[in-house]
Amino acid sequence: MTRVLVADDSETILLLMRTRLELAGYEVETAADGQEVTERLRAGALEGLPDLLLLDAMMPRKSGIDALRELRAAGVDTPALIVSAHQDATDADAPSDLEVSGFVNKPIDFDRLLDEIAALTS
Amino acid sequence: LSPSLANRLRIGFAIGFAVLTAMAVIGVGRFIQQRQDFEDAVARSYQVEMTARARLASGDADRAVARATVAAQSERREELRDQIAADTRDTTLLVAAGLIAGLTGALLLFSGLIASMRRPLEELVDAAGRLAGGDRSARVEVGGLSETATLGAAFNEIADQLELEASQRDQLDRLKDEFVLTASHELRSPLTSVQGFAELLMLERDSLTPKQVETVEIILDNCRHLVRLLNDLLDLARSDAGRLAITPKPTAVAPLVDDAVRTMRAQTESAGQSLTEDVEADLPAVDVEADRIRQILVNLLTNAHEYSPVGASIEVTARVKGAGVEIAVTDNGPGIPESQLDQIFERFVRGDAGLTQRVGGTGLGLAISRSLVELHGGTIEVESTPGVGSRFSFSLPVSGR
Repeated sequence: MTRVLVADDSETILLLMRTRLELAGYEVETAADGQEVTERLRAGALEGLPDLLLLDAMMPRKSGIDALRELRAAGVDTPALIVSAHQDATDADAPSDLEVSGFVNKPIDFDRLLDEIAALTS
Repeated sequence: LSPSLANRLRIGFAIGFAVLTAMAVIGVGRFIQQRQDFEDAVARSYQVEMTARARLASGDADRAVARATVAAQSERREELRDQIAADTRDTTLLVAAGLIAGLTGALLLFSGLIASMRRPLEELVDAAGRLAGGDRSARVEVGGLSETATLGAAFNEIADQLELEASQRDQLDRLKDEFVLTASHELRSPLTSVQGFAELLMLERDSLTPKQVETVEIILDNCRHLVRLLNDLLDLARSDAGRLAITPKPTAVAPLVDDAVRTMRAQTESAGQSLTEDVEADLPAVDVEADRIRQILVNLLTNAHEYSPVGASIEVTARVKGAGVEIAVTDNGPGIPESQLDQIFERFVRGDAGLTQRVGGTGLGLAISRSLVELHGGTIEVESTPGVGSRFSFSLPVSGR
């Protein structure tokens, strides 16, 4: 089954993401912030790497962007989507050294998000 | 020459001429004394000669000595006359020179005085003009006569006060923009949850009662409204802060119109409204940011949809007009009274209050549309006849011109 790791500091958003993604047939792991994402991937708590990362751009302790930068530096090339509360976040906002597969704006358009996830994990 | 150096030179010259004038006055005084001395000496000489002649006439004295005295006195007066003539000439020259020097000095002093008054005044006029033109840093160099110096100091004080007030206002504006920005971001997460869970419910609509479905639809409607409001507020705050920026690229018009029409199709169909497009063939590409033009079109189409009754016709047209491309949204809705046309592009101004009861707009759409059109270097216009319909049109610059 395709595995997605979702990180957001809001439990409600995590529950929403988990429900929607599981309904669409994905296996979902969640993390409360970027720190947890890097720690868990480093500790190998997840069996192997997930197929996709869905990271909130702004989180306490470690943002999704910082976490992704660390993972990329460690050689993790898993596709990643950054969720942003910016109305018009675009690829232009991404630090040029970062490999981001795309941006998702809040409030989330789940039909579009599911299409994108399907395209990235196929 | 710097103005201050020229002024110092002028004052230096003036002092020099004043000294010459003073010397002339002293010279005249000396000459009066010389003249007096000359007259005294001539009188004394005549007296000595008279005495000698009297002795010569009485014949008692040594005639030779008396004769010599007479001759000597005559010679002495001749010398005195030569001397006084020379003194007169010198004094005349000195007076003439002094007079010229005095006049020139007075002229220089006077022109210096005028200049010392005029320069600060000119500077003041210039600074006042710049201040009125919005240059908050306009100040004058305080100097010159005490009156102009006081005036200059007062001007600087007023300018300081204005600058302080303006910077406080700027700071308040920044705080306001910052607040709107933060609020807009912070509200997005809970909104995501509300909308997301309502959508979850709708995924199971088959197991909901019609009443429950209607309830969830109302929640979703209001979520969309809230999103629009947040987006609009953010755009306006950015526009106010001068941070609403676009990156125009050569863009084909037809796909833009198609896209906006597709976005609106479901809404117009549910209201039984016809939505058609008429894009002129072979339109040149326009220099725009596609997302922003789509936003304007959706704003205008949403207005047409929400203000027009069930079964109305809405049409989007695009054609070459003048040096640009004109895109227009026309509806056969209720129209806008002439009294409201002037303010229709102002923020929070909305169509007739009776209608807005069921219209979900924010009152910001047209204000933002105008900002966006103007950011592209175009203009937006409205024509409307109550009972007949409305036509909103905007122009876009053709790419590569």
